[in-house]
Amino acid sequence: MNDLKSCPSVQKWIENVNRYYNLSDEEWDSRLQTLADFCRSEEKDPDTVIAEALADRGEKVDFIRRLKKFVKTQTSNPRVGHDLENIVRSFFIHNGARVVTRPYRGDA
Amino acid sequence: MDFLEVVGSRRSIRIFKPWEQVEKEKIQRILEVVRLTTCPGNLQPWRAIVVERDKLSKEDRETLLACDNYQGAHVNAPVWIYWFADVEGSTADTFRTRVHDLVDLGALPTFYGWTHETIDSAIVKGETAPEGMPAIHSLIHGLPREAAEAVARQETVGACAVAVLAAVNEGLGTCLHMAASAEKTPDLHAVLNAPEGWVPVWCQLVGYPAESPDGGGQRPRLPFETLYYDGAYGKPFARNAEVVEKLEEEKLLQEEMPKPGRFEELKHLARMLGFPL
Repeated sequence: MNDLKSCPSVQKWIENVNRYYNLSDEEWDSRLQTLADFCRSEEKDPDTVIAEALADRGEKVDFIRRLKKFVKTQTSNPRVGHDLENIVRSFFIHNGARVVTRPYRGDA
Repeated sequence: MDFLEVVGSRRSIRIFKPWEQVEKEKIQRILEVVRLTTCPGNLQPWRAIVVERDKLSKEDRETLLACDNYQGAHVNAPVWIYWFADVEGSTADTFRTRVHDLVDLGALPTFYGWTHETIDSAIVKGETAPEGMPAIHSLIHGLPREAAEAVARQETVGACAVAVLAAVNEGLGTCLHMAASAEKTPDLHAVLNAPEGWVPVWCQLVGYPAESPDGGGQRPRLPFETLYYDGAYGKPFARNAEVVEKLEEEKLLQEEMPKPGRFEELKHLARMLGFPL
């Protein structure tokens, strides 16, 4: 996890979110674990994920497509999956990679 | 609610209860209020199409949301009122017809110079309007379509300002949003079957607020003295402290942002609705 925290993209994410919402250390541990698992599934470090997403819109869309598949490997609960997706989406958003966000709508 | 409290309580609400539908009667009441909005020449160039999000097909819903760049509040709000400016509603001919009616009804007094003849000579022939009337020979005669569109837009914007107050008066949350980016405007027209001459102005989002109805407090406003002048620019209009105090009592002036706990509220709302923090 410390390796993750040394990445500038992760530092930026934590600083931006905490500026407004000041999440607890426990919550960050859980969020960082999710990000680490996603990055492992991509076989890329967080900085590379962001750099590629920012450089190429198509690549960013592919990341999000794979993110949806990734969360299905983590949980069968749709609401939990939505929240896991949102953790990674937040990481993208706070690093300047615009991704669409939706409220949880159950069947949608 | 008293008028001053309605104005003072209005906020751009961006977080709605997506599951709580808005009563059709309340939407009608908003539209009825707007119908009576002030407007030059009684033009009334605004038009509206009311869309209930959950009654749209998935395809149409996605198209309309894409027109507005999938803004979070738009996704979240159960009712979308699309306000359009009807260019035909602001042409010289429409103005002429409407002011004829106003003369016949006694709204525009003949002793100020308003008659069918003076109106027609000014608007149709471009002859100078008599003193006592506005210079409609200059304003309306030969009005190009672009100018008619500008008039229609500005009057529709004014109507929208009234529409948001009407929504607040109904106990609803509301916010004006971009209806469509320029390149997506044809998509908006197609889904809503809007006539070609209707120019999208605002999409008014309506619903019950999930956030506190006070939206975290009144938004900071520019200092009174920098906005208003007395007699001529340079001499600020004096702000009387007693008037301010009375307006606070009457709830026009309320606590400004940021109120304590606002970000805590946003954090909980994001979690409840499933938005990323």
